[in-house]
Amino acid sequence: MILDRALDIFRGQAITIPPLDGAFRPNTALDDAETAATAPAPDHLCVKDGRVLYSSATQVGALASPASGQAFPSLSFDRPVAALATSKGGRLAVALADGAIVICEDAGGRREIPAPKGFACPTALAFGDEETLYVCHGSARHGPADWALDFMEKGASGAVWRTALGSGRHDPIARGLSYPHGILVTPAGLIVSESWRHRLLSVDPASGATTPILSKLPGYPGRLAPAPDGGAWLALFAPRNRLIEFVLLEDNYRHDMMRSVERQHWIAPALSSGRSFLEPLQCGSIKTMGIHKPWAPSRSYGLVARLDARLRPVASFHSRANSTRHGATSVVETGAGVFVAAKGGDAILRLTGGA
Amino acid sequence: MEPLIEMRKVTKTYRGVPAIREVDFDLRHGEIHALVGENGAGKTTLTKIMAGVIEATEGSMLYRGKDVRYASPAEALNDGIAMVFQETSLVPSLTVAQNIYLGDEAFLNRLRGTYIAAQQFLQSLNFTVDPTALVATLGAAKRQMVEIARAVHHRAEVIIFDEPTASLTPEEKRHFFALLRRLKARGVSIVFISHALEEALAHADRITILRDGELVATGEAASFDRDKVIRAMVGRTLSNELYRGRRSAAELRPGGAQVLSVQDISMGNVVRNNSFSIFEGQITGVFGLIGSGRTETFKIVAGIHKRDFIGGGEIEFNGRPVRYLVPRQAVKDGIVYVTEDRKVEGFFETMSIAENLYSGLLAADLERLPYISLREMRAMAGEWGKRINIRAINENARVIELSGGNQQKVVIGKGLVQKPRLIIFDEPTRGVDVGAIAEIHHLINKLADEGLAVVVISSYLPEIMNLSDRILVCRQGRIVEEFSPSEATEEKIMYAAVH
Repeated sequence: MILDRALDIFRGQAITIPPLDGAFRPNTALDDAETAATAPAPDHLCVKDGRVLYSSATQVGALASPASGQAFPSLSFDRPVAALATSKGGRLAVALADGAIVICEDAGGRREIPAPKGFACPTALAFGDEETLYVCHGSARHGPADWALDFMEKGASGAVWRTALGSGRHDPIARGLSYPHGILVTPAGLIVSESWRHRLLSVDPASGATTPILSKLPGYPGRLAPAPDGGAWLALFAPRNRLIEFVLLEDNYRHDMMRSVERQHWIAPALSSGRSFLEPLQCGSIKTMGIHKPWAPSRSYGLVARLDARLRPVASFHSRANSTRHGATSVVETGAGVFVAAKGGDAILRLTGGA
Repeated sequence: MEPLIEMRKVTKTYRGVPAIREVDFDLRHGEIHALVGENGAGKTTLTKIMAGVIEATEGSMLYRGKDVRYASPAEALNDGIAMVFQETSLVPSLTVAQNIYLGDEAFLNRLRGTYIAAQQFLQSLNFTVDPTALVATLGAAKRQMVEIARAVHHRAEVIIFDEPTASLTPEEKRHFFALLRRLKARGVSIVFISHALEEALAHADRITILRDGELVATGEAASFDRDKVIRAMVGRTLSNELYRGRRSAAELRPGGAQVLSVQDISMGNVVRNNSFSIFEGQITGVFGLIGSGRTETFKIVAGIHKRDFIGGGEIEFNGRPVRYLVPRQAVKDGIVYVTEDRKVEGFFETMSIAENLYSGLLAADLERLPYISLREMRAMAGEWGKRINIRAINENARVIELSGGNQQKVVIGKGLVQKPRLIIFDEPTRGVDVGAIAEIHHLINKLADEGLAVVVISSYLPEIMNLSDRILVCRQGRIVEEFSPSEATEEKIMYAAVH
């Protein structure tokens, strides 16, 4: 309300976080899920010919699949892999950390398309058709590895681009986004997750007009993937908490922290936490005698949400604060189950039943 | 043994409509007799005749073998028959002692002497009530105690309680039934009307069941069970309908768009950093013990209470931040709160059903012309009376004359005419008989099926388990746990509410 906004100047702004309830009701589904594979920081998943591919550092590997006859050769690149996508026709697009896109043909051929000028932060890819690729660039100022820096700087320089694979031409669709991090192509247009504004947007590919369709998510939304029955899967790679929101409001503290504290110890969202005793002492430490305090705000969490056809959350799968399967950056569903990349837990998880 | 009270073929008619018909009833010395039946079955009418509040149209009443016909409650009280009503008849501005001795004062009344006598008298009954306290400051249980003390003081040999436990907490109920047993041990005969069948089955020596103004069954309590009582009361078994127990995930409504988002709201020490969401097309059950802050939380949502000015959190209704200064703003936005205390907050008791329903419309619809259309009011009363099945002698009946279940339907109807998007039921079936409970449950389910966001606050676990599509548990001013009814058990919910 207008009056509240005016009064906030004197009384301080209320910092509130949407609760994990309703469809986001906590459970231990990710903690209980079986490990499909272990890999260092698996990031992006996609499905090619019924087989789940994953990116991990400079590699693209595949999960063992008895259903798929032919073995998938592991792909290596000279730069870290930032995002993957497959087309209906079976083409594989790999975005590298500097923004270049590599089209990998089944026969083994590769073709590299350079990044659009000024953008080197690919975070998600999606094929429109066999010759059109939509690319999310999280930031115009930082690379994908520096996402926490972009967050702390309250970055809003992200963009969605359309790339014509034939000509290699890039066209901007929408700019000024706060870290677009996931993209889904639907008959009605594009759905883009905007991480730092905790929401999903509908983006018109023709005009670039954006419309929020799901706001106030309890975490930072990441990659999107289609669900077979018309809905979607959404990975939320870190939880929101009031301490982080408070730090974002305190500009002097935030800048001082960024100057003087190592990045992995910032009071900022993280893909994993609890590994170092040097981590920020949140609320007077998050562990006592090795036990995670139930009231301590966690910087990392594992969360995947199932959205219905109208993109409303209907279910979710969690790895809770005192666990390790955190930083769910990507999720896909195949006939063999739902696969989740827990980047902070160095594992790819498989959920069966209840999905 | 000769009965203390014997009623033979008693009939009472109002404007030619019989409230009870040829009812036989007897009360023995030193027994606890439960009188059960649906709302409108005639229980209160029967007991009012016993206590001299109204006179029977036909039939006779024998007291100690003597034919009696009381013209006033005072006459009955002189004979030793006292009645404790649902609404206590105490004077709130007088002290406890003054209320006990009201009408019995000496010519030169020493207040100090009254207090000392009252103190001794209350102690003899083992009542922990301060005789110098103003009645207005007492809770429901203590008022009940004062009312009982007054009856005992008048040396009543028969005490009739009309729904004595409707407003008591579980702890207070235990005290109340311990008191009944003490009175019984002193030789007092007790009649109590109750909607809680467990109470009748557990504490009564005999049970009498009325239906539609007629006697259906009477006998030793040990010869009844829950099903038998319900069957006698409503003519069919409702056990499965009312208490289905655990439901599978497929039976639950999935819930639609988020209608209400409450984030971190606080109000003093009563509501503390409470966060939750409510979704359309779904019933959200809220369980908590008395004092857990559940009612206060939803009264903040409905604009009845105000959240803290500083650090009070945020409420969003349909994606829009709201801070209601008065309930009317909430009503206009589509939030309706159906109160737990219908007699005080729910309706205008001296107004008719139609006037009450229409008052709901007037409160919500600010675009109307500045006059009241009697034709519209009558049409609306007819329509809603049918829709929510309000049973009354006629549409001009005052709400105070209706049974508890029908009063509750009026309160619900008054909310529904406001075309809400979010409707909050606080203890929707408190003081309502089983037949009406089934109807109210059916209505609540229908509202959720029609896409409304529905909240049901209840202290009765079977009701929460039966109605809810999701269950929130409130403790110490905040929601502490959420359960799906498919996995919840009464033990789990109670554990979350207490620990």
